[in-house]
Amino acid sequence: MTFSAPEENTLGVVVGNARRAVGKTARRLGRATAHRASLGTAFLGLGAAILVALRAVYGASWFIGLWGRGTYTQPLAALSAWIVLGAVIVGAIVTSRVIGDRLPDWMFGLFLTGLLVAVALDLIAVWEFHDIGGYATAALAAGMTLLIVVTVRGSSEILIAAGVLGAGLAAMIFLDTPASDQITADWIAPQITAVAAAVLPAVIGVAIVESFRRMVQVELDRVLVQSTVSAPRYAVGMLASEELARLDLAAEELLESIASKKTALPLAPKMASIAASLATELRLHLIEGRRETWLYHAVSESEMLGKAVTLVDKSSLAGLLDPIQRDGLLAAAWLLVGDTVTSNSSRTVTVQVGPVAPGETPVPEHKILIPITITTTGVARNRVDPSIWDALGRVGHYSDHTQDSSLRVDIECLVDNPADV
Amino acid sequence: MDLITKERDRLLQRTARVYGLSFTIVALLCFVLPGAVSSTALIISLPLFLVLGIAQFRMGVSRSALWLGLSLAAGLAIVVVAGTVGARPSQAGFTALVELAAASLAASALVLTSSGPRIAVLVVVFVVIGATLLLLTGDLQAPLRTAGIYVLGWVLPALIAIWISAGVPQVAKRIASIGRAHRAERQASELEAQRRQGARLLHDTVLATLTLLAHSGVGVTPEALRQQAGDDAKLLRQLRLGTNPTQNGTNGEAVGTATSPIQVIDEPVLGTTLESVKQRFGRMGLQVSWHGTGQVLLPSDILDAFLLALAECLENVRRHSGVTEAHVTITEDSKMVRALVTDSGVGFDITDIDEAKLGFTESVVARLRDVGGNARLFSAPGSGTTVVLEVPRGDVQTEEAAQ
Repeated sequence: MTFSAPEENTLGVVVGNARRAVGKTARRLGRATAHRASLGTAFLGLGAAILVALRAVYGASWFIGLWGRGTYTQPLAALSAWIVLGAVIVGAIVTSRVIGDRLPDWMFGLFLTGLLVAVALDLIAVWEFHDIGGYATAALAAGMTLLIVVTVRGSSEILIAAGVLGAGLAAMIFLDTPASDQITADWIAPQITAVAAAVLPAVIGVAIVESFRRMVQVELDRVLVQSTVSAPRYAVGMLASEELARLDLAAEELLESIASKKTALPLAPKMASIAASLATELRLHLIEGRRETWLYHAVSESEMLGKAVTLVDKSSLAGLLDPIQRDGLLAAAWLLVGDTVTSNSSRTVTVQVGPVAPGETPVPEHKILIPITITTTGVARNRVDPSIWDALGRVGHYSDHTQDSSLRVDIECLVDNPADV
Repeated sequence: MDLITKERDRLLQRTARVYGLSFTIVALLCFVLPGAVSSTALIISLPLFLVLGIAQFRMGVSRSALWLGLSLAAGLAIVVVAGTVGARPSQAGFTALVELAAASLAASALVLTSSGPRIAVLVVVFVVIGATLLLLTGDLQAPLRTAGIYVLGWVLPALIAIWISAGVPQVAKRIASIGRAHRAERQASELEAQRRQGARLLHDTVLATLTLLAHSGVGVTPEALRQQAGDDAKLLRQLRLGTNPTQNGTNGEAVGTATSPIQVIDEPVLGTTLESVKQRFGRMGLQVSWHGTGQVLLPSDILDAFLLALAECLENVRRHSGVTEAHVTITEDSKMVRALVTDSGVGFDITDIDEAKLGFTESVVARLRDVGGNARLFSAPGSGTTVVLEVPRGDVQTEEAAQ
């Protein structure tokens, strides 16, 4: 009997890293939440559609005014521009309402082509006035029409379309300049506002939808992680059991194939290494849940907390906190991290739980005192959300200081002594 | 305050920033056109535009009234300066002022609809800026038309803000229900994981077999290995199909003879399970001799930990000691059940086993401590190894845990 390299050791695990499995879990959750990010945007889309319809009515009334005064020398072009635009708007509103999710590429292409045709026809109609900003109607309303699809297509696509439209209009205005003595500030100003009126609604719409999606994402992340508050003292975390089931099944299949002689003995080196890695992963998963607390899972499953929070909890003491304390601690971490996630990524939070120092402070019977220290970087004391103090108060008696010009909080958290339960 | 309310305010602030800054730029572009306003007014207004831009940018991240007030004050000052200082603004200048008052400044309506006091502020601001604009530019365009554009310019962002605010509770509700489903899912997965992790005996034998396979079955006949693999596969299948075979012994025969495979015994008899461990190691070429108490009653979780630790020790003997025989002596007193696992193999120097010790601590000691027990290891090179495992008997478990 020989000692082989201890990559696989019956005495227990010496290889591997539990983070691997956790990372996988987090990624899967991330995918799930990304899919759900479309939550609630249908309502925004409805608002956008109403705005577009109102804008079209407004634009059309200008068109009718110009038509009525007999301004157009090519009235058919102007009229067909509005017919095309009207058809595109109605079609797009109906389609996006019915489909509700993501507009197929070919439909989006059709939509853009329709807009292009409307813009071109309208520009043809007003070309000889040499004042696109003053006379264009359908061409300007076309820019806002992009809002209809702002919730069912990617933001960058909308921005690119709006940009192309703006650049195209600017180019046409440049090509269609009147005699040089007529180019005055009073001629330029309407051109600027016309391009702005065509481009800005889409830009603002994209900004709103992006922010809304981010809000939904953050809230989902928070709510999903919130479920750890009611987890038992030690937990295996979401999907880890699925992983365990998968490993069990893989082991079962391997053993079954050996028992039924489908796999020859002794095992080929490749199969042997599969068995070894199966055993290793299985061991990892069997001991995993016995070490990790709800807080560990909350931090590792959350996209936002995971990025900024470091957890130091060697004795897994966080598991002893009751649901109210957990809720408070989680809310505090959330408020510290959540405030400036995009604008300041240098913000970090370290939560250290324990170690318990017995006998320093008198504590009630059947209780133990767990010191929790929250150290941060890049969080100014006067910049934190005031509701954090309320959240910290739910965890326990706390005191706050400034350390290296960043907030530091020490909490004395009183929990039930596990030995007395 | 609700966290989603905060997020909503942040959303509105960011929108106000984009909205306001966009139209500030448009207004500025028209404003600097030659002849739009008098040059004195232009020189005075340019810094004001800078202040306006900075304030609107800050409004995107700060809820402080300072930036809001600053942006409105700067915007109003531009209107006043352009309307009163020097020559009258041209049509271009007037366009700039309308863009400023009816669009850029109107962006503040986005952040002024969320509460009663804010709406009051909104109304005041709306009236003051509108009155100033109409008063100073009445000669440039029919006031009624200007007023129409102005009102439209302020109503639009206010409606956007109200629309978004109305959408947020809907989303919050749906997210909350997703959260509830997720909590249920988490609990279910936790239970499932506990069930699987709880099947420790089963996993112990599966792991032992897998490890054997990983080492190409050193020292075991293919037939024995096949039988072992078949037994383990059967147990895993039972686990998968929802029965917990833990208490039914670790070999296929025990399952076969039991009246029902789902049978759960609260206090299983140690003896029958010990026998199955012995059989398993027998098949793998390690003769285990039992001594001492044959029948001990233990609660199932303690029994699991105990047997698991025992099996780990025997597996170490089988793999590392170099002998094919091990002795297990079970003793009990009123509080504890102890097992002495002894072999007369090569032994080792305890200080040499850092790495292995980690595994020993993790798999044997930790599991025993979980149930209030302990393990101790004695060995020296050439003189065999002895491991003492002890677990509390169920009735005194709580006292043990408290110590």
